[in-house]
Amino acid sequence: MSLAPSIHRPSPREQQYYARFSQQPPNAIRLRTPNPNLSDEAMSNGSNNNNLGEGPDAMAEEDKRAALFREHYILTEARLMEALGGGTSNDNLDAMGIAMLTSSEVAPAAHDARPAVTPKKPTRAIDEDDYGDDDDGEEEEDTRTSPLLSKSAPNGVAGTGIDAPSLRITSLSSKTGIERTSTPSSELTKFSDDVRKRLQQDKKATEDAAKRSFHTLFYTLESDRDAMLEQQKLDELDRQVETEMSGQPASAPSNGAPAAPVQGTLSTTNLGASSLTLKHLIARIDARRDMVHASDAQLRSLISEVRKNRSKWANEDRVGQEELYESMEKVLMELKACEHAHPFLQRVNKREAPDYYIVIKQPMDIGTMMKKLKQLGYKSKKEFVEDLMLIWSNCLKYNADPAHFLRKKALYMRKETEKLVPLIPEITIRDRAEVEAEERRRGNGDADADGAEDSDDEEPIMASRGRKAPSKGGKGTSTARKAPPAGLEGTPGPDGKPVIPSFNNAVSNLKNEFLRADSEMEGSVNGFITPPPGTLTPLGPNGHLRNGIHGSQADVSEADGTGVSVSAFTLEGEDAELDDIEYKTWKQVTKKDRAIIAAERNRLFREDELQVEEPAILRTRTGMRRWLRHRKQASEEDPLTNTTSALEGKDGLQATAGETLAEGIEGEEERQVPDYYDPVCAIPDISERLQWVEDAEGNVIQQVEEYMRIVPKGQFTMPDGALAKRMEANMRQMQETRKICAKIGIVKQMQIQSQMYKSQFQKYDPPSFMEADIEPIVVSEDGPIMSPYVCRAAMQRSVGKIFYHAGFEEFQPSALDSMTDIASKFIHTLVGSLGVYRETPKMKSDTPVQLENGTTTNWVPRFTQEEALLHALHANGVDLESLDTYVKDDVERLSTKLSAMHDRMRAHYADLLRPALDSTAGADGAGAFNDGSEQFVGGDFAEDIGEDFFGFRELGLDKEFGVSFSVPLHLLQNRMHNAYAAQNTNNVATTGVLMEEPTKFEPVATQNVNNEVGLVQEWFLHKLHDNSNESLIEDDDLPPKQRFPKPRLPPTGKISSPRKRPLREQQQMARKKRKLDEDKEDNAGDNSINISGGLAKGLGKPVGKLKLEMPSQKDNQNVPEPEKDDVGMISPESIQAT
Amino acid sequence: MSDKDKMAKYRTEIQQMMFVSGETGEPSAETTTLIESIVQDQVQHMLRECSVLATRRGSRSISTDDLMMLIRHDRAKISRLRHFLQWKDVRRSVKDSDDKGGDAGADVGQGDADLAAGVVGSGGGPGPEPGKKAKRAKVELVWEVHSFFNENPPLMDDVEDEEEEEMNFATLQRLKNADERTKDMTREEYVHWSDCRQASFTYRKGKRFKEWAGFGLITDSKPSDDIIDILGFLTFEIVQTLTEEALKVKGAEDLYKKTTGGDQNQLKRKRERGLFDPPEEAREPVQPSHVQEAYRRLQRGSNKSRAMLNFTRNVHRAALKLI
Repeated sequence: MSLAPSIHRPSPREQQYYARFSQQPPNAIRLRTPNPNLSDEAMSNGSNNNNLGEGPDAMAEEDKRAALFREHYILTEARLMEALGGGTSNDNLDAMGIAMLTSSEVAPAAHDARPAVTPKKPTRAIDEDDYGDDDDGEEEEDTRTSPLLSKSAPNGVAGTGIDAPSLRITSLSSKTGIERTSTPSSELTKFSDDVRKRLQQDKKATEDAAKRSFHTLFYTLESDRDAMLEQQKLDELDRQVETEMSGQPASAPSNGAPAAPVQGTLSTTNLGASSLTLKHLIARIDARRDMVHASDAQLRSLISEVRKNRSKWANEDRVGQEELYESMEKVLMELKACEHAHPFLQRVNKREAPDYYIVIKQPMDIGTMMKKLKQLGYKSKKEFVEDLMLIWSNCLKYNADPAHFLRKKALYMRKETEKLVPLIPEITIRDRAEVEAEERRRGNGDADADGAEDSDDEEPIMASRGRKAPSKGGKGTSTARKAPPAGLEGTPGPDGKPVIPSFNNAVSNLKNEFLRADSEMEGSVNGFITPPPGTLTPLGPNGHLRNGIHGSQADVSEADGTGVSVSAFTLEGEDAELDDIEYKTWKQVTKKDRAIIAAERNRLFREDELQVEEPAILRTRTGMRRWLRHRKQASEEDPLTNTTSALEGKDGLQATAGETLAEGIEGEEERQVPDYYDPVCAIPDISERLQWVEDAEGNVIQQVEEYMRIVPKGQFTMPDGALAKRMEANMRQMQETRKICAKIGIVKQMQIQSQMYKSQFQKYDPPSFMEADIEPIVVSEDGPIMSPYVCRAAMQRSVGKIFYHAGFEEFQPSALDSMTDIASKFIHTLVGSLGVYRETPKMKSDTPVQLENGTTTNWVPRFTQEEALLHALHANGVDLESLDTYVKDDVERLSTKLSAMHDRMRAHYADLLRPALDSTAGADGAGAFNDGSEQFVGGDFAEDIGEDFFGFRELGLDKEFGVSFSVPLHLLQNRMHNAYAAQNTNNVATTGVLMEEPTKFEPVATQNVNNEVGLVQEWFLHKLHDNSNESLIEDDDLPPKQRFPKPRLPPTGKISSPRKRPLREQQQMARKKRKLDEDKEDNAGDNSINISGGLAKGLGKPVGKLKLEMPSQKDNQNVPEPEKDDVGMISPESIQAT
Repeated sequence: MSDKDKMAKYRTEIQQMMFVSGETGEPSAETTTLIESIVQDQVQHMLRECSVLATRRGSRSISTDDLMMLIRHDRAKISRLRHFLQWKDVRRSVKDSDDKGGDAGADVGQGDADLAAGVVGSGGGPGPEPGKKAKRAKVELVWEVHSFFNENPPLMDDVEDEEEEEMNFATLQRLKNADERTKDMTREEYVHWSDCRQASFTYRKGKRFKEWAGFGLITDSKPSDDIIDILGFLTFEIVQTLTEEALKVKGAEDLYKKTTGGDQNQLKRKRERGLFDPPEEAREPVQPSHVQEAYRRLQRGSNKSRAMLNFTRNVHRAALKLI
């Protein structure tokens, strides 16, 4: 408190401050380190050495003359400044204008509503009339009156239906009258109000601009965390100040004595801030004064009770304190909220800067100032401003290095301070007694004062009468503060109106948030009364109220555990110069609200997990209303859309709807954040197509039909193209070839096996390739179908086709899957790089280019479409040459190769079917007839190979008779086998038939059995007997199925299978033979017969009906069934072995 | 390179091959050693890859198909290799039929050299008679059409093999260059030339080659003759490609030196050039640095192998590329 009080420091012009600071000795500018720690120690060290008990009598009484001089000086100074500032030319005019503005037809609703909404708002920048009133005199309620009782009274009065517009003017005139005759400080007020107003307007303009950008710009949320942490720190500071304050006695001195009430009209009575809000009522009462059966004192107490909220700074005994402190607090709040304010929030810690207190003799910081403010340590604006400037100059002094980052911050803060300081009215707080004395003196001097002068005399008396009230309010609850809004809530109109935002809302908002977050308990903590419905109880938080909830608040922030790291964030935080001005404004304007919202969310997700215990973020009616309002505003700003009438109506309805308690508590605060910060409360649009629209006859129009469409066919099939067609053709070709392949396989099988089963004649008949499209589907959008699995299936099909085209007849699903994945990844990167090339920033070209819509531009794409495509292909290792090669080699040439292969296959197949044309048939083909086959006669299988052997098809016979001339392959079995066998034998023999085939042996019958060799006669007889005396049939003449399998000889001519046979089987064989020997006489005859009868097969076989003997062999159970063939095959060797 | 004598097993062969490939000077021992080690590395790499492929097939021994699989992307090389194998087949059948006697032997020798260079007819050596030519077996590649089907019909004689006409640009260029160089040769020179053309890593040095390529170590199988022959062909190709690339590098360097004044060769420039001195640049053989640069260029990765890594942060690690 080393300020030299020069109270009438004239102008708050910036130049003066510069000048003043330049006069300061520029010695030893040193570092002022920031104090990141929120330690209690630091705070307790703060210089809170103000004695609150000392009266505001520092200012000596001034004589009238001096006051007059001062007044003149100020007036001229103000004019000068007006001229310099280029603003309005006249103070009075300006004041009038402002008064008019505030009470004009447009404003009042909002004007009235706002206090109801944010009653706690410490300063009212626009409606400065209130200041004048508050300043002039305070009306306090009777202490006996219960707030609840008094509350009902004005409601009743208001309910009598006073005609508002007619009375407005009178109150206005009375107000101006009061102002004109008020103390010099009110002149000051008026002047500084101008400045304030302009600043305010500027600020509002930028804020509005920022707010307007809410609808047009999206800001990222990355700075929210910083904002939250900063805010927490600020809050912490507030709380610490409060804690220290609460230990001290209440500051309001009560030294006045009640004066006798003087009868007069109410309108001339200064009812303080209420005079404006209640002016109609007052005027009415004045008009019907005789009908009101109440004394003036009663009325006054009534009115003062219902009167608008009083500031916490209000003090009857200290003239001007409320206004001054309101504004000072506001300025401090404002500065505190600055993004660069962090280093200055707390005292410099000695540990961090040991020499700080050597360099800086008078340390100062915002926290200390807050404390001082709370302790009513400032008597004038000058003291306050000097303290402020001291902070910045200290910093600049300590941090001598010009590049130091703190200097930048300090300079920024100083600039900010200089901007804000004009907002503080030039008021010196004086004791009520002094003022009264002065007034009296002046009143005596100016006897020609007008009628309003009476009130001047009355005011002190009126005020002094209620002097106890603030002290009472200061002790715990300010009942007067809570009750009045109830009356205002009754009028629905103003409430619904959009609230004009003011930047100190944020402060109250934050507090509100904390209040709300800490549940309803604060209501009981802070008040003796439970808040009546519709009142805005928590919105009047003052020091005491917050003291009450201090503990829980601390819990919140401590639990967050983020307070410590605040400074770290802000220090590395964004440089002011780097951000553009719009973003800066945005950050500034929205900081607190963002902080609140971020804190709300942070609570839910503390410690990186969902806190189930925390209250959920719910949709609120207020939030929804706000959202609608914002939308309306946005659409109003957009001149093109004027379809908001419905919304407006809805809005109005909602606004006037009954409000619940919760809403009341929540309040109609205005958040300075875009709607996307509060997504819970957003109301989704009803899409156009869902709207209920009726036509002229009242029928509902089916909007759906216009939007629905069927997905066009072919989106998921291969598009028609030359390449696709070629590939299809190739695949068909392959299928055809495979068909032949399958037949060849069967034929080969038939040649090998003597007997085939139906299951082996599986015809290879692959279905032709069909690309199934998706089912007809109806969609309501125009975009592509976003269905990953369908797309993937289509991709998989394409991959499968390419597989097939590459020659894989079948493939494993896993292979297909992985290949599909790889392919889709590749296509993905290909398209990605194409996107990169296409979206390269445009280039400026010399020649303007005509766009499609007719405009010309110099900006052309960096790459043309073709270039972009080529680049993308190159980046992925594909070039046109390789694509071309693929098409040429792998598709086109493949087709020729395939057809050549097909031809080869067919020829091969034909060869297999027609051994006559085989080269083995002899040079002249005569050998083809040797086996006596009827293939040339039948020609029936010709069709199988696709040949119209006899021209039947050419004649159209097949259609005529409806028959197919193709013969099932299995009918050819016999023929094939024979042919193959014949071929094999022919291979052994020379080509062609050189020898005559010997005459067949006579079948052995009962008649000629005697011609046989005697040794075998008996055996033959036995056989004949078994054969029921029919003649024996040669093996070769048996029907194929009964025929015994012939031993197969490999091309080498060696019989290899017996070699593999283990010895055991040989033994079995021997045993079998022994068994046979028991039945038969010998085997030699058998052998000889076979040799003689066989067609040079050279293989001995059991003769004749050996098969019939099988049962007897089966008695021998140790011989497995499949070995029958082997018996036949190895018999010659075993015979030789024996 | 500790065992240098061990390394330099093919010095003369490499020199001959380089001579055939266009190198006029006498390459130094360092150069040939460098080339030899490169070739060895490549061969061993090939063998490793082959055994991997064979293992994947489920076979223990590598086959010619594996080798062809390795170079399948180089269509020109594949085509030359098939050509070579076809002629090898012809030579074998001629040998088998044995009706030509010693005369055929000389022809075969000539033919072999021709094949090694990818030349069929330009060498002027009388090839086998047309009748025999028609009979030579077609070398089927595993990924060709015939493998699409499970039946393999016999070849039809009348189907003309169009692969033969697929003589790509590089091969033709080589032939042209060889033709240019041999045009003005005297008989002795040409004999020397054709001797050089017969240089091979494998021809009649099978044992040395197997040892050199590490057959016993990398693959535990006994390689078939075909594999050795293919490797012989491929090693020649490697040397040829390397030499051509190195000559290109050297040419560029010479050009650069000429335009910038050749500061490094100031000593040489001071010397008076005699009338009968050979042209300086031409006489100067390829240096190891040129070979290194050529090798680097040939190892340069293509975008294709990196395509799947686009938009990822993975670093592309290219495997050794076959030259």
